[in-house]
Amino acid sequence: MNLMADILINVIVAFLAGSLLLGLHRKVMARVQKRPGPPIIQHLLHSLKFFFKETSFPKTVSMPFYIGIVFILAAVWVVGVIVGPVAHDSLLILFGVYAVYKIVEHNSGSSSGSPYGKASCVRAVLSAATELPLFAAIVLVYLKTGSMNIGEIISYQAFNGPLAFSIPLAAIMFFLLLLSKSPYSPFGITKDKALISGFETEHFGFLRGFIMFSESISWYVMLWVFLTIFFGPLNAVGYVIGMIIITFITGFINSTTPILNPNHSVMSQITMGAVCFIGTVIMVLI
Amino acid sequence: MVNKTLCSILLIISTIAILACLVINFEAWIVYLVAIIGIPLWVLSIGLLTMAKPRLEDEEERVKEPFTGY
Repeated sequence: MNLMADILINVIVAFLAGSLLLGLHRKVMARVQKRPGPPIIQHLLHSLKFFFKETSFPKTVSMPFYIGIVFILAAVWVVGVIVGPVAHDSLLILFGVYAVYKIVEHNSGSSSGSPYGKASCVRAVLSAATELPLFAAIVLVYLKTGSMNIGEIISYQAFNGPLAFSIPLAAIMFFLLLLSKSPYSPFGITKDKALISGFETEHFGFLRGFIMFSESISWYVMLWVFLTIFFGPLNAVGYVIGMIIITFITGFINSTTPILNPNHSVMSQITMGAVCFIGTVIMVLI
Repeated sequence: MVNKTLCSILLIISTIAILACLVINFEAWIVYLVAIIGIPLWVLSIGLLTMAKPRLEDEEERVKEPFTGY
């Protein structure tokens, strides 16, 4: 297949599937809290609807940075699609993608001129702690398989079985990242409702729709990477079932867990990351 | 605030670049470059063109402080 066609199909699938999964996530949270909740398709409809909503640019924003950062957010997750589902390339590039995402959170908040955005921007620096478990998980996958290439990790699992069974604590660490990135997460300190919508507060109308477009892709890519590097070669049905199960689990956890304060969020993630890392190293050595 | 001409030019350029990569088999790095820049640029330019603008009499009210919108 033509490479560009492959990329376009994967980006569209990532957007549609990611939107529906985030809609499902919201539905699960609502049901756990005994609310009917919006339809599953609502997140997708909102993303598209915002493209036609009235949009203006507050005087306090730093243009063109205010718009540019939304563009960068989309660009980094297109990179995520290329590195993951399209090219099966290196995990290190995905780590870089996630690092840039943190920069986007930081700069999106600071470019708006809003005090809520600025507070969220400061918290984005703190929440970079979520990258430590991610990096540790990648290191452990490398120690076990001898490769950072997703294609080679898939081949390794085809012969030796899923990594989730041989290094389960590394899988838990990666799951922590998924949990911290999911909506209404106990670790989601940058989008604490005390900060309205955090770094997104002043990005409304079309720009909010564009951010939702990128976040749908990001949710799909992260679930895809998690399933691929810990549950081995999967077919399309396997991916769909796996993504739905993880979305259910994160929705359940988020609906029953209050958001932590920034210090507790950072410390709990680092502590869990450290325990899982040491535990996995011991398991590998034994 | 948003220049319609500039948005239209960006939309045309990104559309042509993406279509060119669909029709011609360029080297992989060129296709990746076009995808990483072209796809977000296409969405951005089409969004800036389709979004509704505030009415002239409301414009000042919309931009005067950072607490607009949400």
